[in-house]
Amino acid sequence: MSSTTRILTVDDSASMRALLNHALSTNGFEVAQADDGVSALEWLAVNEVDVVITDINMPRLDGFGLIEQVRGGTRHRDRPILVLTTESSDEKKARARAAGATGWIVKPFDTEKLVAAVRRVSH
Amino acid sequence: MTPEEIQQIFFVECEESLAAAETGLAACRAGTQDSDTVNAVFRAIHSIKGGAGAFGYGALQAYTHTFETLLSDVREGLVAIAPDLIDLLLRALDTLADHVTAARECAEAPDDAGLIGEMEAAMAANAGSAPKATPEPDPEPAIDSGAGDDFGLDLDALLDDLTADFVPSPTPARWPVHLRMRAGAMRNGSEPLLMLRDIAALGGECTHCDVSQVPPLDSFNPSEGYLGWTYALPAETPEDAVRDIFDFIGDDCALAIGEDEDIPAFEPGETPVPVAASAAAVVPAAGPVPAEENQAVFATSTAAVPPAGAVPASPAAGQSIRIDLFKLDRLIDLVGELVIAQAMLVQRLEGVGISATDELSLLETLTRDIQESAMSIRAQPISSVFSRVPRILRDLAASTGKHVRLEVIGETTELDKTVIERLGEPLTHLIRNAVDHGIESAEQRIAAGKSPEGTLTLSAEHRSGRILIAIGDDGAGINRERVLAKAIEKGIISPEAQLTAEEIDNLIFAPGFSTAQVVSNVSGRGVGMDVVRQNVKELGGRITIDSIEGKGTTFTLTLPLTLAISDGMIVDVGDQTLVVPLAHVVESLRPAEADVQGLGSSRAMLNVRGRFIPVISLRDALGTVQGATAAAEGVLIVVDTESAGQAALLVDNICDQRQFVIKSLATNFRAVEGVAGATILGDGRVALIVDVDGLVACALPAQERQAA
Repeated sequence: MSSTTRILTVDDSASMRALLNHALSTNGFEVAQADDGVSALEWLAVNEVDVVITDINMPRLDGFGLIEQVRGGTRHRDRPILVLTTESSDEKKARARAAGATGWIVKPFDTEKLVAAVRRVSH
Repeated sequence: MTPEEIQQIFFVECEESLAAAETGLAACRAGTQDSDTVNAVFRAIHSIKGGAGAFGYGALQAYTHTFETLLSDVREGLVAIAPDLIDLLLRALDTLADHVTAARECAEAPDDAGLIGEMEAAMAANAGSAPKATPEPDPEPAIDSGAGDDFGLDLDALLDDLTADFVPSPTPARWPVHLRMRAGAMRNGSEPLLMLRDIAALGGECTHCDVSQVPPLDSFNPSEGYLGWTYALPAETPEDAVRDIFDFIGDDCALAIGEDEDIPAFEPGETPVPVAASAAAVVPAAGPVPAEENQAVFATSTAAVPPAGAVPASPAAGQSIRIDLFKLDRLIDLVGELVIAQAMLVQRLEGVGISATDELSLLETLTRDIQESAMSIRAQPISSVFSRVPRILRDLAASTGKHVRLEVIGETTELDKTVIERLGEPLTHLIRNAVDHGIESAEQRIAAGKSPEGTLTLSAEHRSGRILIAIGDDGAGINRERVLAKAIEKGIISPEAQLTAEEIDNLIFAPGFSTAQVVSNVSGRGVGMDVVRQNVKELGGRITIDSIEGKGTTFTLTLPLTLAISDGMIVDVGDQTLVVPLAHVVESLRPAEADVQGLGSSRAMLNVRGRFIPVISLRDALGTVQGATAAAEGVLIVVDTESAGQAALLVDNICDQRQFVIKSLATNFRAVEGVAGATILGDGRVALIVDVDGLVACALPAQERQAA
């Protein structure tokens, strides 16, 4: 285990990934990026991670599906997964929770809060 | 990466999203209204909204919010997909495009009040007929607060308190919170300890811990919630702040607040359910992809990627990367040099008797593959240009009243990025022209026995290393009498000139020509078509017209796939080797003596199937004296030119036809009239590239040019 917290950000929007990357890496996190659930799973198959931050609405495999797959696997099943999305309905939260999400952050995010959220779940 | 650069990415992304939404809505209109299609449109708008919020474009975000809410209702089936709705969505999309442009240019946001009203009306109209699934989301997006607390989030609200400088209050008034974790609280990567710390951060003080349920070690299950706590919180800490901490984990933590309450009772959980099973049970249709398929993807990629030495930037992580165009152009340039070097090597080896070896052919194959791969990096589907057309047609329908149906063929055809970028303007002009001048008004169409709605057909296809783009309308066709009269009136041609139908059609490309009886605000003011032709020519392409009176007109653009490398005919003239760009070549022929007729002492005309075109001797143009000059002894290359119609270039010999990399003569030497540039041949010699337009224009006297 390295001392740096490694984060995988999953979002189909390149600008959102760039923003996250900027916000997190300037705060000392190691950031990897995936553009949807399928690429995230591919990356996770060969890499270690401390926290996953994922969008919900994505092509191919959405955030719910990604979380289920991670929780259903063995390698990363206990990793915290934060959902980062513009959706905020209770129904969506319940669904994310049921799928196995650890926490919920609403876009647009505040860098300070995002960083605090990541620190809070990375144990 | 600077914030500006990230912002740039956002705007590029907006363009992509707008195009995706356009495509999706077009499919909806054409009858494909399945959930995938609607979802794609929703996702596109959703993505713009997300970015708009992140980058602080308030007006854009507020507008996309309404748009997205309507799409969400459509997706949930609360609003029915009717032609009216699709029309509304398309108009909303146009305004969204304007919003994006306004945001990019820091201009004033477009007036969207009317559309927002219409969209809200569309939602309201259907609200009564369908059950309301969820409470309305907050219509006011929280951008100014930068926090989005209005959305009732948990982490954010909690973090507000976490990040705030908390000063423990000395006031004794405190209220109790009783809680007990359930068995599930340890799953999902959660850590109850962190939540307890959050309570402490809110000023909570642990007053009691219930350990009575902790069993003997041999029956201890680490995932059970044996412990219960009571915390005393300061009076000024709102109850919601505490509830927010546990909001997300829901039933996994039992919470009781108030003096009269006690720590919730211990409920032994059943054996922990495997998460996947429980999750699958709760969310049966999570993603668009079935679970087994995901699993398969997961498994294959595990096998395919070597686990050792995997770096964070694994190639599997991203489907695409963004490269600086400059680097790419440098690569393409180098590949061009490689092609030349390879050709030089082959020629040199042939000189010493080595040819057709396996190694050489392998090298040749590899070189060609590298070249094609490098080119394909720059290639993009033409759909990025075609997808803008529906918008143009809608705008035109509004200003001309002509409703036009669009048919698109071959939108996946790929061509060079630069060509695509520079294609937009001429294409837009041709489309405007087709609707404005080509397609008749509905009344005229009905009178002519046509459907009142015109049809515009856009097609793209690869043909022998070039791309053909056709813009066809089913309008009235070119009125040749009027064109001819106009050209004579404008002094573009002499009244006596005998012109073929094709030549008359081509007159519309002449500078300063405009046949519109009333100058319309659509097709410009007569500066259009010659500019179109100029644009296409700058791309190394040609434009041809095929018009049938009463049936319609088709403009065909023949373009190279790339600008870096061109096709050329290698010809010998005296002791010189020249390159004639293939874009200009119509045909080449070895004339019979009777086909070439002298005209005065030095000029000659070539009879091509009954038409006479001037012959230009490249020997004379070059000033080379040695060798034969009689046309019958050489080869004639018929070329098409911008300003002088067709001409035949007389050369000694055609040696080859190959690709060449253009090197600027102006940069390396100086601009020379009649020479477009230079290239390096396979044997290392430098050959000049003929500027066909310039050469023909300066070789032919003005009088002759007009007649041709």
